[in-house]
Amino acid sequence: MAKKILIIEDEKIICDLLERKLTREGYSVVIATNGIDGLVKMREDRPDIVLLDIIMPKMGGFEVMEEMNKDETLKDIPVIVVSNSGQPVEIDRIKKMGAKDWLIKTEFDPQEVLEKVKKQIGI
Amino acid sequence: MVRFLGFGFNGKKTKKQIKTIEELDRIAKKLIRRDLELSLIREKREKEFKEIEAKTKDLEEARKGLLNMLEDVAGSRREVEEERNKTLAIISNFTDGLLVFDEQKRLSLINPQAEKFLGIKSKKVIGKTISAIGRMSSLKGLVKLLGKEINPIFRKELEVKDDLVLEVSVLAISREEQIENLVVLHNITREKLVERMKTEFVSITAHQLRTPLSAIKWTLKMLLDEDLGKITEEQREFIEKTYQSNERMISLINDLLNVTRIEEGRYVYNPVLSNITKLVESLIDQYKDEISIKNINLEFKKPKKQLPKVLIDVEKINLAVQNLLDNAIQYNKLGGSIKISLKSNKKEIEFSIEDSGVGIPKKQEKRIFTKFFRAANVMRMDTRGSGLGLFIVKNIIEAHKGRIWFKSKERKGTIFYFTLPVPIYK
Repeated sequence: MAKKILIIEDEKIICDLLERKLTREGYSVVIATNGIDGLVKMREDRPDIVLLDIIMPKMGGFEVMEEMNKDETLKDIPVIVVSNSGQPVEIDRIKKMGAKDWLIKTEFDPQEVLEKVKKQIGI
Repeated sequence: MVRFLGFGFNGKKTKKQIKTIEELDRIAKKLIRRDLELSLIREKREKEFKEIEAKTKDLEEARKGLLNMLEDVAGSRREVEEERNKTLAIISNFTDGLLVFDEQKRLSLINPQAEKFLGIKSKKVIGKTISAIGRMSSLKGLVKLLGKEINPIFRKELEVKDDLVLEVSVLAISREEQIENLVVLHNITREKLVERMKTEFVSITAHQLRTPLSAIKWTLKMLLDEDLGKITEEQREFIEKTYQSNERMISLINDLLNVTRIEEGRYVYNPVLSNITKLVESLIDQYKDEISIKNINLEFKKPKKQLPKVLIDVEKINLAVQNLLDNAIQYNKLGGSIKISLKSNKKEIEFSIEDSGVGIPKKQEKRIFTKFFRAANVMRMDTRGSGLGLFIVKNIIEAHKGRIWFKSKERKGTIFYFTLPVPIYK
């Protein structure tokens, strides 16, 4: 069975590119465009990993992490943050909340996202 | 008269006559003596009189002089008075708040503007010591900034209220062998507001710009990696150039964001003990393609013995060294050279990077670390560059309590140096 990746990201083109990149590698990809939608989808069908944006409408990445930490069924799912912002205070905060890794979109590319995913959950 | 008396008794002088004559003679002699004495006295008097006359003249002169002097003093007093009034008027109407503390640190003067800024009345504070004033709630902040000794400070910010930010300076003035302290309160609320608006604008803009730039980056990268299908060599060439342009834009935005953070005081430093030699080596490795394209001969003089570790924010020091290396390559000639060296003493580590590039024009040396400044010669050779790189480097080094400086000769090259303190263990 293909491993499941949930992408929570409001920028459609980023979602499309990541979906393309990851499905080509054999992963199964689900997309949510905001935090609330993301929590609904991870409760419906538990993913193996979450790729999480920080600044999103309705519910941002920090709140999603808070909710996941409160929920016994969700708190063990590894999270990689994929964000436009990369301020050290923010990175510190989300790592303390349990995120496995942090990627700044302008400094990384889809190939590197793929490598980080592989490192966390394998193929 | 004596002789006349003598004629009257010629030849027949009786005893009585003789006696009378003798008496007369004695009287005459006495008279003569008196006459002499009198004339001496007269002479003396005349002399004294002349002296008195001369002295009176002198006194008269002195009196006139004194009168003139008194007139002058009155004039001077008027001038001083006028001057004092003028100074008081200036102090009273000055747009800056002014406070003067005397040698005993007692408040001796406060102008209306300072009363307004601090929300106090002069009669309640005049004559009180700084410690006494510090107990008043509206003055706590200021007194804390000034300290009990009121040492000179220059342009320190003080937020008095939400809508009032003051810039406080303290000057020591010496007057009649007494040292007084003048405290100047300058209102910078408006400047701070404009600065904050500018910072927020840049921050939001930069963030908003990054979103589409990362979308462009990712799309181009996937095209180049042929994740979206095969591409021809010609297509690859164009996509690659577009990718590079986009990268430049990203780095410009990053510079702008860094500057904004420096100015907002949000440039968080995360110090960890690190090995600077490794950091420099790995950066040189990252730049090996650029170095070989320009056929530059790079020499890295590593220290003979291992350098002590330094407490640094790795990401920021990396950015600083990267900016210096980037400049040394970018403004170097083809086939030029770069020499990097690291050394240390007990107190600090010194990094230096020497290039054989265009150099910095003598006239513009002073402005080299200024934000948005680019020297005339590099503007001519390359229109890219934000003029933010060295400003950022200086801020990073100084935030680490290091120093940065350079030596340069136009058309010969430049050497940049910086130091980082070695932590002291007790």
